[in-house]
Amino acid sequence: MTGIIFDIKEFAIHDGGGVRTTVFLKGCPLRCVWCHNPEGQSIRPELMKKTGCTGCGKCLEGCSHPECQPYGRCLHACPRGFLSIAGREVSAAELAERLARDAELYRMSGGGVTISGGEPLMQADFCVELLTLLREKGIHTAIETCGFAPEDDFRRVTDLCDFVYCDLKIADSDTHRRYTGVPNELILKNIEYLRSSGKKYRLRTPLIPGITDTEENLTAIRNLTVGDEVEYLPYNDLAGAKYSYLGRKYSLDALE
Amino acid sequence: MSYYDYIISREHRKLREPFMNGADLAEQFSHENLSLIERATRRFELLAKAQTPHIFDGQQIVFMRSTSTHPQILTAEEKAAMKEKYHIHELGEMSNLVPDYERILTRGLLAVREESNEYARREIDALIDLSDRYREEAIRIGRDDVAAVLDVVPRYPATNFREALQFFRIVNFAMRLEGVHHVTCGRFDKYMYPYYKADSEKYSQDELDALLRDFFISFNVDSDLYAGMQMGDNGQSLVLGGIDKDGNDIWNALSEACLRASAANKMIDPKINMRVTKDTPAERFTLGSRLTAIGLGFPQYSNDDVVVPGLEMHGYSHEDAVEYGVAACWEFIVPGKGCDVPNIDALSFPLIVDKVLHGGFAGCTSVDQLKSLVRGEIKARCDEIVNGKKELKIVPAPFYSLFFDAPNGDISDGSIYNNYGSHGTGLSTAADSLAVMEKYVLADKTLTADELIEAVDSDFEKHSEILPVLRNEAPKMGCDGGELADEWGVFLLDTFSECLAGRPNDRGGEWRCGTGSAMYYLFHADEIGASPDGRRKGEPLPTNYSPSLFAKTGGPVSVIRSFAKPDLAKTINGGPLTLEFDSSVFRSRSAENSGEISEESCEKLGALVKYYMNLGGHQLQLNAVSRDVLLDAQKNPDNYRQLIVRVWGWSGYFVELDKAYQDHVIARCEYTL
Repeated sequence: MTGIIFDIKEFAIHDGGGVRTTVFLKGCPLRCVWCHNPEGQSIRPELMKKTGCTGCGKCLEGCSHPECQPYGRCLHACPRGFLSIAGREVSAAELAERLARDAELYRMSGGGVTISGGEPLMQADFCVELLTLLREKGIHTAIETCGFAPEDDFRRVTDLCDFVYCDLKIADSDTHRRYTGVPNELILKNIEYLRSSGKKYRLRTPLIPGITDTEENLTAIRNLTVGDEVEYLPYNDLAGAKYSYLGRKYSLDALE
Repeated sequence: MSYYDYIISREHRKLREPFMNGADLAEQFSHENLSLIERATRRFELLAKAQTPHIFDGQQIVFMRSTSTHPQILTAEEKAAMKEKYHIHELGEMSNLVPDYERILTRGLLAVREESNEYARREIDALIDLSDRYREEAIRIGRDDVAAVLDVVPRYPATNFREALQFFRIVNFAMRLEGVHHVTCGRFDKYMYPYYKADSEKYSQDELDALLRDFFISFNVDSDLYAGMQMGDNGQSLVLGGIDKDGNDIWNALSEACLRASAANKMIDPKINMRVTKDTPAERFTLGSRLTAIGLGFPQYSNDDVVVPGLEMHGYSHEDAVEYGVAACWEFIVPGKGCDVPNIDALSFPLIVDKVLHGGFAGCTSVDQLKSLVRGEIKARCDEIVNGKKELKIVPAPFYSLFFDAPNGDISDGSIYNNYGSHGTGLSTAADSLAVMEKYVLADKTLTADELIEAVDSDFEKHSEILPVLRNEAPKMGCDGGELADEWGVFLLDTFSECLAGRPNDRGGEWRCGTGSAMYYLFHADEIGASPDGRRKGEPLPTNYSPSLFAKTGGPVSVIRSFAKPDLAKTINGGPLTLEFDSSVFRSRSAENSGEISEESCEKLGALVKYYMNLGGHQLQLNAVSRDVLLDAQKNPDNYRQLIVRVWGWSGYFVELDKAYQDHVIARCEYTL
C-alpha cells in the first residue's frame, strides 16, 4: 500500500540511538499552537512557497503539467526553486528499500529508522506495513508519536517498534485541548499500554514558554509519570519559519 | 598574560623588524654573479645571523622569527629569464613535501654535518650559532630549563621528549628560513613516540600535555609570515595513526595526546590528519569528531585501504607507501623519499564539458558518442598538462635536503619518487551537466542541443523556463535520484586517470590525478559562463570533491554514497570529500546542558565518517559552521578573531581570508547538512 510522506531526513541525530534516518508521515490530529512542522498537519499534499519570492510571476504563466493543475501554479517554473509540494505518495515497499539502503550505517552506529510526522499513527496501516518490512531487513525501528490514536492502532504499530517516543505535552486535559485541539485521556491510556507492554519507551514534553513549561504543568506531569523516563525538549525558536511558506500565520510569533 | 594568550593576541609580531632594513640581496648576489645554491646558502646565513632571540614567560619550546621580511635571491630580470628557460612552480622554492624528521632527530646536526656538502655545513653552522645565542639568552634571563635543552639539541640527538620537540622546532624553523614553504610534519606520532613513551614514565600526563600544547603553539608563532595563497594556507599538516608495513595500527598514547592538545589550544595549526582503515575502532572517529565539533575544521581523514594500494599502483613500494604523509592540504607524499609536485597543474572538468557542449555535442546522438567526445577533451587537456611541464627548476635547499634521499645532491633535483600531480576541479558541476545533456537532450529529447547551448550561452536569459528544471530537478551528485550524475562522475574520474596513467614526466616519474580543487574553485568558475546543470555565470564551483553548491542533497548519507562510487584509488593525488555541518548539530539540545558539545553527536558523526571509509572513500574533511555567525563575522571581524573555518584543504581564521573565499564558505553553508 502507499502512504503520504513529507520528508526523509538523513543523519537524524536527535531521534533515537545511533545514526538514524527519519521519515516524516503527513497528517496529524493535533493542532498544537507551537507546531514547528505545520506542513505535517494536513494529510493532503500542499503547496510550500519559501520566503524570498520576488513576485516574478513565472509560476503563474500557465503550464500543462498534470501535477501542477491542482495548485494553479507551475511547480517547475520558479527560478529560485522556492516552490515545492509538501507530501508525496510512496509505497511502503519502495520506502523500505530506500531506508534500508544504509542498513550498514545503522548497524555500525546502533541506529536505525525513526518514523515521525505529523502523526504517523494517522497512517497506521501504512506504518504496520513499513515497519514489518524494515523488521524483516533487521533494521532497528523507532516511532515518534503524540499518543493520540485509537488504542488498537497504537498497539499494533508500537508493537512493531523497538523504541517508542510518546509525547505527554500537557497534564490537564482541558488545557491540553486548549493548546492542541484534543483532550489527553486517550494519550494517557496509550501511555498506560506502553508501560504494560514491556516495550522500551520514553515520554517527551516540549518546553513551550508559558504553556507547557509552567511549574503547574511540570509538577503535574512529574506526578503522572512516576517511574517513566521523561525527556524535556527545549523550544525550537525557528519553529515559526515554515508557517509563512504555507501562507499561514504562526500563532506563537509573540514568543519570539 | 600567559604565553598562549600572548601568541593569540598576536602581540609578539610587533617584536619583528625588517631584515637588514629591507636590503636587496638579489641585486648584490646578481652583481657578484653567484650560483643559485650559493645564494640560497648565503641568504640562510644572513637571515640566521639577523635573528634576535626572544623567549617568553612560561614558553618551553623556543624560537621565533624576529625578521618580518624574507629577501629574494633573484632579481626580477633573472627570474623572468629563468621562467623563459624553465618551468617554475609557484614561488620557485621547495615546497609541499614531507621531510623525514627522524633521520635528523636521532642523529643530531653535528653527526649529519660530517656527511654533508659545504653548503649544508654552512647552514648547519649558522643554525647552531643561532641556537647558541638562544641558549645565552636563556641563561641571561634565568631560564636554565631552556638552556639545558639547547645544550643537547640541535648538536646532538634528542634524549627526551622535550628535546625532541625543541629539535623539531629548530629544524622546522630553519627550513622556513631557507625559503621552503608548506613545510609539513609527517607521521608525528610515529617518530616522536619513542621519546614520548620514555618520558611518560617520568612525567605526569598533565605535564606532558602542557609541553605538547606549548609545542603546538609554536606552529602559530611565525605562521603569518609563511607563504600561501591565503593566511592559514601554510601546510602545517600533522599526520596521526595509520598502518605500518606489516599492517599494524600505529595509533598510540601520543596520537591521543595530540588530539587533546589541539582541542585545548583551539588554534589552526598544526592541522591534524588522521589515517584510518576499515579496522579503525569507532571510538577513534569519535575522538576526531570532537575536534570537528569544536569547530577546528580538522581532522581530515584519509583511508589507508584506498591510499596505500593507490600509491602502489603508481610504483611506490609497499614499505614506502605505508609511510605516506599529507602535504599542505591533502596530497599523499612519502616522507624523505617523495619529491612529487602534486599540484603542478589542474584540469577543470566543467571546462571539459563546456568544450564538448560547444564542440561536438550538437551532432551527438548517443551516450557513447557523448562519452567519446568527453574522453577526447580530457585526453587533449591531459596532453597539454603533460607536455606543458618540462624542465622544472627549483631553488636549491641544502638544509632541507638533509631530510630527504637526494640522489642528485640536492632535493630540488629530485628524490626517489618524482611524480607530478594534477587536480581535477568541479567534478560534480561537470557530472551534473553531463547528466542534463544525456537525460534531457539524448534520452527524453525534451530539449535540443541547440536550445541547451543557447540557454547556457545566454546565462539562461534564453529558454529561461528550463533553468528551474535543470537547477532544481535534474539528477545531481549527492541527491536522491542522482544516479545518472553519479555514473558520469565515475566516468570522468576513470577517464582522467586513464589519460594520465603511465605518462612519464621529465623527472623520471609519472602523473597522478586527484579530486582536489585547491583555490581553483574560484578561478575555474570564471573561465566558463553558465553550465548545463543550471549553474549561472559567475557562481563558484564546489570546493574539492563535493556536491554542487545549489544541489538539494538527500543529506550527508546520500552525499557519502554518491561520492564513494568512483574507484578512488585511481585518484591518489588526493582531494577530500568536503562536508559542511551546521555547528548546532554538535551541541546538546537537552534542557540541562544546552549548547555544550554533545558526546553522543560526536559518536554519530564518527560513525558517518567511518561509513564513508568503509564504502571506499579516500579522504574526508568536515566543517562545523554557522551561517549566521559567518555573516556576523564579516560585519564585525573584531569579534571573531579566533573563528576557524576549513577553506579548501586547510583551516584558517575566517576574518583573515579574502572576501571571495569568505563568501564561498558562506555559500557552502547553504548545503549544510
